[in-house]
Amino acid sequence: MGEELKINPLRKFLRKEKLPHFFCAGCGCGQVLNYYTQALDALNMDPEKMLHIGGVGCTARIPIYLKTDMFHGVHGRTLAWATGVKMTQPDLPVVIFAGDGDLVSIGGNHMIQSCRRNLDVTVVMVNNMNFAMTGGQVAPTTPEESVTMTTPYGSGEPRFDVCRLAMAAGASHVERWTTAQPVQCKLAMERALQHKGFSLIEIVSQCPTHYGRYALKTGDPVKVMNYIQSNTYAKEQSERMTDEEKEGKLPLGMFICEEKPVYAGTNMAF
Amino acid sequence: MLQYPQKISLCGFGGQGIILTAVMLGTAAVTKGGLYAVQTQSYGSEARGGQCQAELIIDKSPINSPVAEKKNLLVAMFQTAYEKYITTLSPDGVLVIDPQLVTDLSVPVEHTFAIPATQIAVDLGNRMAANMVVLGFLSECLGILQENDLIDVVKTQVNPRFVELNIKAVQAGIAYAKEHDLYYHG
Amino acid sequence: MSIIRANQLDAWEKCVDTGVHFMLGNYALVEGAISAGCNFFAGYPITPANEISERMSQRLPQVGGKFVQGEDELCSVFALAGASLAGAKVMTATASAGFNYMQEGLGYCYTIEAPIVIADVMRTRGDNFATYADVYQLRYGCSGDYEAIVVCPASVQELYDYTIWAFNLAEKYRNPVIVMSEATIALMRERLEIPTAEKIELFNRKYTTAAPADYLPFGAPENGCPDFAPLGKGYKTIYSLNPHNEKGGIDWDPDEFERLYKRVCGKIRENEDDICRTESFMMDDAEYAIVTYGSETRPSIEAAQMARESGIKVGVLKLCNIWPVPEKAIREVAGNVTKIFAVEMNMGRYVNEITRVAGGKCPVVSVTKNRGQIHTSAEIFRAIREETK
Repeated sequence: MGEELKINPLRKFLRKEKLPHFFCAGCGCGQVLNYYTQALDALNMDPEKMLHIGGVGCTARIPIYLKTDMFHGVHGRTLAWATGVKMTQPDLPVVIFAGDGDLVSIGGNHMIQSCRRNLDVTVVMVNNMNFAMTGGQVAPTTPEESVTMTTPYGSGEPRFDVCRLAMAAGASHVERWTTAQPVQCKLAMERALQHKGFSLIEIVSQCPTHYGRYALKTGDPVKVMNYIQSNTYAKEQSERMTDEEKEGKLPLGMFICEEKPVYAGTNMAF
Repeated sequence: MLQYPQKISLCGFGGQGIILTAVMLGTAAVTKGGLYAVQTQSYGSEARGGQCQAELIIDKSPINSPVAEKKNLLVAMFQTAYEKYITTLSPDGVLVIDPQLVTDLSVPVEHTFAIPATQIAVDLGNRMAANMVVLGFLSECLGILQENDLIDVVKTQVNPRFVELNIKAVQAGIAYAKEHDLYYHG
Repeated sequence: MSIIRANQLDAWEKCVDTGVHFMLGNYALVEGAISAGCNFFAGYPITPANEISERMSQRLPQVGGKFVQGEDELCSVFALAGASLAGAKVMTATASAGFNYMQEGLGYCYTIEAPIVIADVMRTRGDNFATYADVYQLRYGCSGDYEAIVVCPASVQELYDYTIWAFNLAEKYRNPVIVMSEATIALMRERLEIPTAEKIELFNRKYTTAAPADYLPFGAPENGCPDFAPLGKGYKTIYSLNPHNEKGGIDWDPDEFERLYKRVCGKIRENEDDICRTESFMMDDAEYAIVTYGSETRPSIEAAQMARESGIKVGVLKLCNIWPVPEKAIREVAGNVTKIFAVEMNMGRYVNEITRVAGGKCPVVSVTKNRGQIHTSAEIFRAIREETK
């Protein structure tokens, strides 16, 4: 009896020819892909019968490894593409993987308008707190005072709480977790895939290569994850915490999940 | 016989329905009269200041240049519009005015038809129908359309609430041309 | 899954508004699109293109299509790309300044070969005056290697006819096609005859008959375009702006890179005879030629007639499309006349192309006007008289 080669059964969703993947050692994008394929498997969904969209950036590369139809390669326009697709094939499930820069910097207006319309898509936003693919520049999600490649003296800008932004704009399903929470991430993605309307799943993720090295002075992914853990808190703890304790930290959890009419373009019914 | 092309300009004050009149005459000429027509209007800053102007070229064959430097028929429905556009009328052209609205004819034109469109419309119950009186008058004066064809166009182009009033106004315009024998053959 | 297939014929025939109309140019363009089977439009408000969006928002729901007013031009053009790849026949309309923003999405569509139609109702900066200012933006606005197709209607009838032609070219060559319009014809009302549905010839994109395992999303001969596969049916196509190989995979291999761009350009360059159209007026015995395009054709024909009345034999070559450049027709004219007049509503732009193609066979005189108005026939005639003394 030779040793049996064990293969992760979720590899069935991946394009073999694309592996090994292109992410840096310790990057959170691989974890997000892992959690996402688990969610697909749990729901018995076939990515070949779906459309995945990535813009530009590290996160945008996640769906390239999936056996699926996908759009890729333009920065910030993921939701604009999705708008046209959903008007034409409303029943085709559309899942978007976007980095924080893609979604709320260059694509910010598309994002808030899609929330407002309640476009029926799932958005997985991997928030690594900087522009990583271009070398670690400041993003709208970079914590204040962080040193990045374009804030050598520390960022003087406040950051977006993207989940609050999405809710204020009208999104009907919003959750935030971190890469250190595999079960929560998987379950959140399952809820998103089943939700009719705009779902935003923000996953706060480690970028040891850039944010870690420049802002936290460490290239160790575990240390970056520890930093994320100590700068987030479960939203259920909110009431027991002082404002001072919450200062500069992001709450985690499911913030909203409600039924609302989904966007269907101009319709003669109105 | 009427000469072609007919190069017509209608000018007045915004809200009088000047452009609609040109559009309806053009629609009737093309869809009922088997003619060709091009209708343009002033836009951009030229259209500001309240004045408005529509141009209409009608011909028996396809029309090339959409702009005519000189018109052979000018309809003026407001004093300031008259003053601005009278220079575009060729010397042997015809001027059509509402004498209630254009009172000071500083540039005399040999062939001037005065039609009390506003008064006729007021008598019909709504001064806003003056443009339809002009439409009926122009159609009859040029002799290019049948009355029922023009009325068909009115039915399709105006708000159903005002169809009856507008048809009466068009008929009154036609009647005025007939009664006063105001026909244009240039 | 419900895929909206363009031109489900029984429904589509009812969409065609057959008959003689006295119609606004912008509306005629919409009717052309509807007759061509357009079932998705996304646009952002801008004068003088607004009548296009307004009528589309009214007409598309009537014919089972979808209308979206995007939050900006970028949303609109990328929504077009998405809808096109999902199987719709798509269009947007904008005007010069708005067209600037669309270049990004247009560039994506050139590279991944999505058929889209864009109407550019050209305008001057800040106001709605007529101009041909975008002639180069229409061709060279995007980054990357590509070939543009730009058709130039000169009348309300041609706004209808050429829009159908634009959709057919877009579907046939999997390429964006731009309808060049401007305030003169866009805001003009004129006779429009819409034929019966069965007389309208349409070309619809080809879908693959191959099984997913055998399908090459970007595999095609050097002068052709690949067949489409539907989304969500297991064909696993990656539509990436990045250089991609025949399988669709992102590929930076210089050979693959070269093959992609050779084909994306080659499918247009090598089919110029099929794409390019011109019309000649009074050219048989012409000693001088006006070479022009779009609405400027109209006063040009009258100017040629005026010139002939005064003994100068002038003809007109109308370019029905300006990109790709109808080189054969221009070269032939250049060989037959002693002088060419390039008439344009700008400071003289396309004259450079005409001069290049004429190749020194005859001098080319630029007749320009940039006053927010189309040339009058007298203005063109005076320019000709001056140069033929």
